[in-house]
Amino acid sequence: MTPLAALLSIMFFPAGITLILSGMLYEWADRKLVARFQNRIGPRWFQPLADTIKLLTKEEIKPQGLKSLLFYGLPIVALTGALTAALYAPILGFSPIYSFPGDLIVTLYMLSLMTMCIGLAGWNGSSRFSLIGATRSFTQLFAYEAPFLLALLGPAMAANSWVIKDVSAYAEGHYWMILTQPVGFVIALIGLMGKLELPPFDAPEAETEIVAGALTEYSGRGLALFHIGKSVELVVAVSLVTAFYLGGIGNPLLFLIKTLVIVLLMALLQAMLTRLRIDQTVGLWWRYGALLALLQILILILLKGWLA
Amino acid sequence: MNFPQNYVSQLMEKITTWARINSPWAIHFNSGSCNGCDIEILATLTPRYDIERFGIKLRGSPRHADVLICTGPVTRQARERLLRTYEQMPEPKFVVVVGSCGISGGVFQGCYNVVGHINEVLPVDAFIPGCPPRPEAIIDGIVKLLAHIQRGTRPALVIKPGVQEAA
Ligand code: SF4
Repeated sequence: MTPLAALLSIMFFPAGITLILSGMLYEWADRKLVARFQNRIGPRWFQPLADTIKLLTKEEIKPQGLKSLLFYGLPIVALTGALTAALYAPILGFSPIYSFPGDLIVTLYMLSLMTMCIGLAGWNGSSRFSLIGATRSFTQLFAYEAPFLLALLGPAMAANSWVIKDVSAYAEGHYWMILTQPVGFVIALIGLMGKLELPPFDAPEAETEIVAGALTEYSGRGLALFHIGKSVELVVAVSLVTAFYLGGIGNPLLFLIKTLVIVLLMALLQAMLTRLRIDQTVGLWWRYGALLALLQILILILLKGWLA
Repeated sequence: MNFPQNYVSQLMEKITTWARINSPWAIHFNSGSCNGCDIEILATLTPRYDIERFGIKLRGSPRHADVLICTGPVTRQARERLLRTYEQMPEPKFVVVVGSCGISGGVFQGCYNVVGHINEVLPVDAFIPGCPPRPEAIIDGIVKLLAHIQRGTRPALVIKPGVQEAA
């Protein structure tokens, strides 16, 4: 790494601010695109920023009968998890600043930490809505986690490495893996939406049924931290899928365009599909998602054995 | 010595107000209306009027909301729930009344089961008249409320006493 690149990556990543701001911009792109698909004008570009600042300056109410440590601690842990995951991911087309053997697995679990925290936050609540939301969050976690992992495992196996950097370098030097492993790409994309609890997988926070799911009792700062964590998670996960399936890191501008294409696809799916029931979500993942991902990995193993 | 600190706090104040008027999240409560006003509020949320362009979002939970949109007169049964919903909202919070019933009791004035208009129970920041008001009127009312917040003027937080409990 040249000194300039090192300086840039330190300025851009651990500082977190750029990361959070880019997360907000992605969130805005997503909301705006959904609005355009619904023939609306949509939010202004600073909307997520205004939402976050407003939430941060609002009063935070702690309902009676909750464990304070969990109530105040969980949002912080969730955000920390998302920001830590960002250290190992190729954000905005810059190569990840840290990497060690096996960082792919660590990153994926850091991303799941967010869902765990939301689930626990709901579990800690005294309201029945947050309890139902928490149950649904955990159920959905068990549904999409394995297929999503398997979908990202495909490129890792093709590249023979558990390091995000190596996999994206491999992806850069070969055919785009969306062509060689199309099933994996679809599963990764849909898994991404499940991870972020976007429609049609928004049963855990279905506002028409269970108020606001696990975060019903959160107000002000806690809610803001969860929101920031979610938008950071969006950036990290989108970057990972792009780097793995759409031809590696390449140059930052091209990378940005590719990530926006993924956001566009996600917005299209969000605008098109309606919410699935939680049992339909689980059925979808375990009946089709996991099996297809396993099948693809089997084919990959056989092909590798045959070619070697 | 004091000057920079003042300056910083003024700046913070400005940023806070800016964020507040650009992202009012609303919650909708019907305390006994005939549903006419509620339907107009729902019409306001449709893509045709698209209030997300002002940053207005309808939230399910009062804990997430800034603006309480009330419709209808307050019935004896709904009074407790209305107050509770209001108290569950974190500060700063604003109340908007939609429809003539919420302003004066309207056609339900003097009913045996009605406490009265909303301002007898909650401190109201904006009234939107009409029976029911059109979506444009509702948007106009909300925008006026936002201007009100920007100027930093609010009615005093006094809950009016003298709500009659006996029949
Ligand atoms: S103002 Fe008119 S439409 Fe609204 S609740 Fe009263 S009677 Fe119904």
